[in-house]
Amino acid sequence: MSRLLEFDGVYKAFGDEEVLEGVGFGMDRTDVEVVVGPSGSGKSTLLRCVNRLTEIDDGDIYLDGDSVHGMDVDSLRRRVGMVFQGVNLFAHRTALGNVTLGLRQVRGMSKAEAREAAESNLARVGLADQADSYPAELSGGQKQRVGIARALAMEPELLLFDEPTSALDPELIGEVLEVMQDLADDGMTMLVVTHEMGFARSVADTLTFLDGGRVVERGPPDRLFERPERKRTDQFLGRLDA
Amino acid sequence: MESVPLQPGDWAFVLGNWPVLAQGLYVTVLLTVGSLLLGFLAGFPAGAVEVYGAGPLRSVVRGAGVLLRGTPIVVLIVLFFFGAPWPDLGGLPLGGWLLVPRFDVNGRALLAATTALGLRSAAYQSQVFRGAIRSIDEGQMEAARAINLSTFQAVRHVVLPQALRRSIPGFQNEFTIVLKDTSIAIAIGLGELLFQGRQLFLQPGQSAVVEVVFVISAVYFVLTFATNRTLDLVERRYAIPEEST
Repeated sequence: MSRLLEFDGVYKAFGDEEVLEGVGFGMDRTDVEVVVGPSGSGKSTLLRCVNRLTEIDDGDIYLDGDSVHGMDVDSLRRRVGMVFQGVNLFAHRTALGNVTLGLRQVRGMSKAEAREAAESNLARVGLADQADSYPAELSGGQKQRVGIARALAMEPELLLFDEPTSALDPELIGEVLEVMQDLADDGMTMLVVTHEMGFARSVADTLTFLDGGRVVERGPPDRLFERPERKRTDQFLGRLDA
Repeated sequence: MESVPLQPGDWAFVLGNWPVLAQGLYVTVLLTVGSLLLGFLAGFPAGAVEVYGAGPLRSVVRGAGVLLRGTPIVVLIVLFFFGAPWPDLGGLPLGGWLLVPRFDVNGRALLAATTALGLRSAAYQSQVFRGAIRSIDEGQMEAARAINLSTFQAVRHVVLPQALRRSIPGFQNEFTIVLKDTSIAIAIGLGELLFQGRQLFLQPGQSAVVEVVFVISAVYFVLTFATNRTLDLVERRYAIPEEST
């Protein structure tokens, strides 16, 4: 059986700047894979290539055995959800309206069905009581949880998280990580780019350290933190962990 | 005869001839509404084309906008009146309700003035929209695409509702400008408010110039003020809660 997601020699350059220089690894259903690395290591780009917000130049990415480039981009994004660093909630719609938009327009639900599904997804991130609030009336952490509910409602097979807590005040990070932990416990397949080493260590099944557009080291998080094989991994994780 | 302003008799003359001014007001309102409507129907898509369009279509829209914005409105009105192949519409019967007596207006002149003011307004309204669309954060579009809305759906459900709200202050300007510029249709003899006023004070033996102009100005002022206040209410009614900083 093929893996749910597989990167095969993924190469990407923006002009002269090579961002991904042959990245290859794979993950299975229910895996939580965390990618860490310094700024500019290409980790966000790697994520955006999966749902083709960014197109790769060489290599390939396979979703359940099929190249994402052979796929209709709509059916691809139907299967792969994404949570952004900047959240990007639709500013003119309430929390509920943010979640129902895709349900109505993409999944073709009736108004009542969409409302019900949206409410249950908001409840899943602990925000049932904020359904009628506009984004500007929510805290940063609440916004990001709505962003997660919005992505979850589309029932993706794989959920991408692009530094979901990097733009948050430190005291708001915890509530978002808790929701992510719950999703992981529920068996959601997640590919997460983050700087939260505590989360990486406790929730990830596999940790990938990316630097200079290449996978430097990959394995169970405990091993990478305690017995890294590469000096560069030790430098990076050791410094952040200290 | 010496013209002494602000004589009681002159005020009585103006007020006694109110139906003449009411007819002018009728044409002015008609011309304003028609021009703004044409301006919106053409300007809104034009703004969207300038942002999302590509190739020859965008070049044509841009070029037309530059031409229309770069030409004096009086030249446009004269050009559209004498230079466009309108059919001879003869007299267009108007009025006959709300105390305004029935009257005829030159159909060709009304059509030419509406087209000229409307297209020029479209050229300005397109810029209001273009700016408003551009002001919407790119992440909104990205998030819409990530939940698999098509580009059209994303524009329709995410970008435009926000952009339209941000366009309202720009519209307020545009409404005011178009309303006041309808008076330039006097150049082609269209019976709008200023033209009707001139008909009054050009009557032989009349000295009520200042009084007529004063009344007309007051009418323009009331119209712009009322419209702007209405749009203020619309803006508040549809306001999105803003990030408090």
